[in-house]
Amino acid sequence: MRAGWAICKRELRSFFVSPVAYALLVAWLLCCGGNYGFVANIYSSQPATGGSDNPLTMFFGGTLLFFLPLLVFIPIMTMRLLAQERAEGTLEALLTSPVSERAVVLGKYGAALIFWAALWAPTLIYVWITSRFGDVDLGVVAASYVGVLAVGGFYLAIGVLMSALAPNQVVAATMTFLLLVLLFGIGIFQFMAFDLTRDVFSYVSIWTHMQDFAKGVVDTRALVFDATAAALMIFLAIRTLEWRRLTS
Amino acid sequence: MLSVRSLTKRYGATAVVDGVDFEVAEGEIVGFLGPNGAGKSTTLKMITGFLAPTAGAVRVNGIDALKHPRKARRSFGYMPEGVPLHPELRVHEYLRFRAELKGVPSRKIGDAIERSLDQASVTDAENRIIRQLSKGYRQRVGLADALLSDPPLLILDEPSSGLDPNQIRYVRELIRDFSGKKTVFLSTHILPEVEATCDRVVIINKGKKVGEGDPRSLRSERKQAFFVRFVGIGTTAAFREALQSASYRETGLGKELELEADGDRVRGRLQVPDEDAIDALFRAIAGAGLTLRELGGEARSLESLFTELTTEEAPPDPVEDEEEDDEELDDVETSEEDDS
Repeated sequence: MRAGWAICKRELRSFFVSPVAYALLVAWLLCCGGNYGFVANIYSSQPATGGSDNPLTMFFGGTLLFFLPLLVFIPIMTMRLLAQERAEGTLEALLTSPVSERAVVLGKYGAALIFWAALWAPTLIYVWITSRFGDVDLGVVAASYVGVLAVGGFYLAIGVLMSALAPNQVVAATMTFLLLVLLFGIGIFQFMAFDLTRDVFSYVSIWTHMQDFAKGVVDTRALVFDATAAALMIFLAIRTLEWRRLTS
Repeated sequence: MLSVRSLTKRYGATAVVDGVDFEVAEGEIVGFLGPNGAGKSTTLKMITGFLAPTAGAVRVNGIDALKHPRKARRSFGYMPEGVPLHPELRVHEYLRFRAELKGVPSRKIGDAIERSLDQASVTDAENRIIRQLSKGYRQRVGLADALLSDPPLLILDEPSSGLDPNQIRYVRELIRDFSGKKTVFLSTHILPEVEATCDRVVIINKGKKVGEGDPRSLRSERKQAFFVRFVGIGTTAAFREALQSASYRETGLGKELELEADGDRVRGRLQVPDEDAIDALFRAIAGAGLTLRELGGEARSLESLFTELTTEEAPPDPVEDEEEDDEELDDVETSEEDDS
């Protein structure tokens, strides 16, 4: 696994020496700040109509402002992981070193997860700000971040798979975006369907997942779903790399 | 050190590499020579495990590279064609990453980087960003990368492509220095490169191995006898007399002579020892008062391959030629340089 860690470190280093990482961070914080500002504004003017008992609960998954940036930022974060190596030929140097395809994919996925955590780390400030004006249940906050990591882990894995399949970064980003929109759209179907279908949609909907997590409910079904879905995507990405040797 | 057995890669019905066999012994520097598109890179990609062969076997350092690819990869350093590097990293950052990938123990990484930078003569670029390096430097960084784990075998794909003549000479000297210390298998489409660096050469064309040997013997093979065909006007008897009266030892004519009358023409075919003999043939026929209508050498497969290979090093550039014609001063200077 040492090779995987080396790949993860290299990926983060390459990312953070490029201006793209900082542009992404700034844009991301603008989105989050906008979301938090929007939520805080509602609670300060009309505390009763907020819908949730705490502005942080609404911040994590209560508004569309939480989900829309997700759908855009995740494709941008993952598109380069494998597609760029393929386009620039560095994949050949990588895969002719004594490393397994598994180490390559896991290293890249690990780097994406770390960057994902780095995007969310500054939002801890919002927790601090909120705590100065009211009570904050840290258990609920922790559950929200668990949710963020679970949902992010699933969506990033989709991005990794698309980056393994796509011939270049643009295709990878587009495919990831479309898939994420489709998955997110399924969450909306639950409001239109009945009975069993409705239950199925709500189980796979990240909207429902995030709303539960944000209330402090750590639903293991949601965690298991996100983890298995992510594992499946990563497994397919590894297989895609192995399959490339036979076909290209 | 490296053994390749009936290696084949097919895409649908077309075989890009078709049953290639060869061996590279320990300490040898072997060139893998062939024109562009002959299947050199595909062969190297299969040896290094980047591509899976359709059929065949590869053994590296005694290890079956298809069954135990990761173990086999520890035995070689590979420099892919075009030397892909991560341009945003500094040279030492990149080499540290590569050393970690190759399983060099962490406390030895510093030494390994220093040694390989030194072996590839690129120590002065250690702290530079790869994007800012010239092509020659990048090539040497790629070589340093291949040397990181101090592997017994180096596999280099077109190590001098895209370099200027000074850089080419430099890289060739570097490779030559490995003689006896490391086994080197390098691909190239340039015959002089093989002659300058290699102990032995494997020649490939259109996916098939067409020759193997040491570069000098192949060069003398190039001077070997070949057949000339001609068409003249006269009688077969007159041609026979003209060509056989000349002494073979002096002119190289008269061997394997075949003549055939075709109306008032005579079609002939004979063996000559080298290209000089063609002049002698022409003189002998003209000297006997006979007329020659057609004259041409019979192409041999290896010969034509060599022609293709040797003419590729300095492709004529029509634009440059025109410029030289326009500027007479430059022209004079160029020819002076040529003389010296």
